[in-house]
Amino acid sequence: MIRYKKKVSEYSAGCEIDMTPMIDVVFQLIIFFIVTINMEQNYKKEIVLEDAKNAPVIKNPHPMTLVIEVDKRGWISLHGAQVTTTQLRALVQRRYNSVGEFPVLIRGDRDARHKDIRKVMDICSGVGLWKINFAAVKERKT
Amino acid sequence: MKKSKLRKGEAAKLEMTPMIDVVFQLLIFFIVTLKQEDILSHLDVWRPAPDSRPPPETPEDLLTITIYKDGYVLKGRRVSLQELDRQLTRLAGFSKSISVIIKCTADSPHKHLVRVLDVCAKCDLRNLSVFSM
Repeated sequence: MIRYKKKVSEYSAGCEIDMTPMIDVVFQLIIFFIVTINMEQNYKKEIVLEDAKNAPVIKNPHPMTLVIEVDKRGWISLHGAQVTTTQLRALVQRRYNSVGEFPVLIRGDRDARHKDIRKVMDICSGVGLWKINFAAVKERKT
Repeated sequence: MKKSKLRKGEAAKLEMTPMIDVVFQLLIFFIVTLKQEDILSHLDVWRPAPDSRPPPETPEDLLTITIYKDGYVLKGRRVSLQELDRQLTRLAGFSKSISVIIKCTADSPHKHLVRVLDVCAKCDLRNLSVFSM
């Protein structure tokens, strides 16, 4: 402490703050945000959800939730990767065998036919998952 | 190095302007590209086993809504969404525990189902089952 004070009085005219650690930290933060932003948005962009203003909002969704997307052509996908019904059934069955019951969220396009939604629901109920969630938009931001 | 410079009285000045420029550019880029996410709501339903038939209807505590490609049918009568809303609000006033059976035809769009589920959520009806026809 004493030494520090002495230094300040001695070199007060030319004393500069070392910027290097701050720049390091700022770049670390920027890189962190770039990486996490890209990780987050891995749902199909083309799916338009229907509005449901009265439905409850789930603040903290269950971490094991399986999100199944059905677009308006009836194609089923998981995190943007298209799957067939056979693959989906095998996947849901495997997951059920390893972790037990888990919530299922169906992101169905507003113009998807019910017969395609039905395929997904039948797979889930066939495995033993009776509870199914449908995603809808509570409040549009864009 | 630094010490000797300071002794001579020359301030080791770090050029801040380009860095601040770049940081502001990045900041503006992120503000512009930041897309507000829509707030999602979840509608949960019960799905019976694939091959089970709907249970026989008992009028007192079971309500059947059928969804067709172009509309809704409640208790054998064609209704609009507003009419359905009114009817369900009235029925939910008597009892919140009534079971609602929603039957969907194969070619009905998904939005009709979501709208019906939304009306049910508004009326605080929780016991919802979806059947396919």
